[in-house]
Amino acid sequence: MTGDTRSMAPLRPAPFEALRTAVGGGGLRTLALLLPAIVLALGFLYYPLVFIVQMSFTEGSSYLSPTGPITTTANYSLIASRYLPNLLITLELAVLATIVDLIFGFPFAYIFVRKIRYRTTVRALMVFPMFGALYIAFGMRFILLPGGPATPLLQALGIQSTDALFSLPSVVFAMSIFTFPFMVLNIGTALGNVDPTLEEAAACLGARPWQTFRRILVPLTRAGTVAGALTVFGWSIGTFAEPLLLGSANEQRALAWTVYQRGVVQTDYGLSTAMGVVLLGVAFVVTYLSLRYSRGALVE
Amino acid sequence: MTTPSEAFGVPARRPLITARRLTDVLSHAYIWAILIVFVLPFLALVGFSFTARPGEAGAVTNYGYVLETFGDNLLWSLKIAGLTLVINVLVSLPAGYAIVRHTFPGKRFLFSALTLPLYVPGAVIGISLVLTYNFTYHLTTSMWGLVLAMSLGTFPLMLTPIVVALKDLPVIFEEASACLGATRWQTYRRIVLPLIGPGVSAGLLLCFIIVFNEYLVTLFVHPPGLTTAPLRVFNQIRTAGLAPTTAALAVTMQLISLAAVLLFFRLFGARHLKGTYLL
Repeated sequence: MTGDTRSMAPLRPAPFEALRTAVGGGGLRTLALLLPAIVLALGFLYYPLVFIVQMSFTEGSSYLSPTGPITTTANYSLIASRYLPNLLITLELAVLATIVDLIFGFPFAYIFVRKIRYRTTVRALMVFPMFGALYIAFGMRFILLPGGPATPLLQALGIQSTDALFSLPSVVFAMSIFTFPFMVLNIGTALGNVDPTLEEAAACLGARPWQTFRRILVPLTRAGTVAGALTVFGWSIGTFAEPLLLGSANEQRALAWTVYQRGVVQTDYGLSTAMGVVLLGVAFVVTYLSLRYSRGALVE
Repeated sequence: MTTPSEAFGVPARRPLITARRLTDVLSHAYIWAILIVFVLPFLALVGFSFTARPGEAGAVTNYGYVLETFGDNLLWSLKIAGLTLVINVLVSLPAGYAIVRHTFPGKRFLFSALTLPLYVPGAVIGISLVLTYNFTYHLTTSMWGLVLAMSLGTFPLMLTPIVVALKDLPVIFEEASACLGATRWQTYRRIVLPLIGPGVSAGLLLCFIIVFNEYLVTLFVHPPGLTTAPLRVFNQIRTAGLAPTTAALAVTMQLISLAAVLLFFRLFGARHLKGTYLL
């Protein structure tokens, strides 16, 4: 007994009704909380996207001409004919980068999940690609420069420096470094959910490592692997700095750079927005597929 | 004379190199080989940044040159990143709270619609924004156009960790707080916010790293006279070729970003970045 009467004062009663509104919230309040995000997304993503879709059906910069826009589908037929190589090289680079990441990423993710104790160190070093493709491309360009650090190695392999610098393999290499963490993240998450005893059981039953990999690990991590591959592909189709700094004239035709050239430099808005729409379409298909494959959606 | 191990029937020592040990060594070697490849472009730039410019004596002067000539660009980068982070917090905190705690129809759809900017290629965001800024919003000369573009591209990276943190936070704390007579705002400020702090910080870190190093959307929408540091790197390579001073700027940018990451790991540990882009 303390004799302190203040602590004996009755608490304000809190009926369940009041409690629910205090935590749950009503329609208008919910809307108010969501409004800034919705305005940002509508005003700066969805409206601009609708805008470029409209513009992609007009000729050149006629969208702004005082006589009214000239409606045409010529931009799209141009992409299907004259600019088809641009689209194809974009897809080719993305596919190759995805394959490289897949081949090197699966063992990496496996070792990372099963064997590594010093994960924080690995994570800290893995952030370097996250700083951006620009620095990777810049660094690789310096490495591959004739007379640069890689010259003795290339000579030993019998490759001309100039052939190595502006070439498809160096672009793909830089792209796969940039996207590697996404692949490892997805496969690693899937592998983390596979019970290690399953591998031990397979080994006990006489399966060789290759058989365990082929018949236990691959089927059980399929969702994560597919999601990883699609994520990497989705990021790779927007590649910009790597083809520009490391590619030959062929790789430099990649769509993202052409969009900039045609749109901002040459002000051919119709064609450049049409290319943007094509790029967007590919990205959306890939994203839709990857979301279908990745399990455990955040909001249920 | 028998050794103790033989006396107790323990078999002789196993051979030093077993198949298992060999696989282990190879596994670690593989991880480190890949990590070295990751760091290689950075190390190459560090080496390059310490080579002397033609007509200059000291190599360290490259970094002095960075502060002198590119100081403006670095300041712009920090300023744009800072403003973007403020907007991202103001947009994502309420939205994340409503998405997790409130019930309303179409919640999944809304969350997907809000995270979609992450999946749109940068060049598409760039061309669509530069055209709408020019012809509809008339936002071409203000830095806010760039800030809002950065915000649009990165606020989902902030929203996701906040949603994860809120889902992990049992609702009882808020109910208890409400029972004890706290107002909604008091509960939010003194209970919810401190408890989801690490999640918010994870979002801050991710957004900072992305915005601080962004050059692609910036190339499209930057107002005349405003060049951020990564865009300056891009322009320098395009126009002036490879120069040690440009490498020094790129190294400076990456070191600042790395410092931010390491600081976060030190303060909060890596686990709060789960489900986001840094594992």
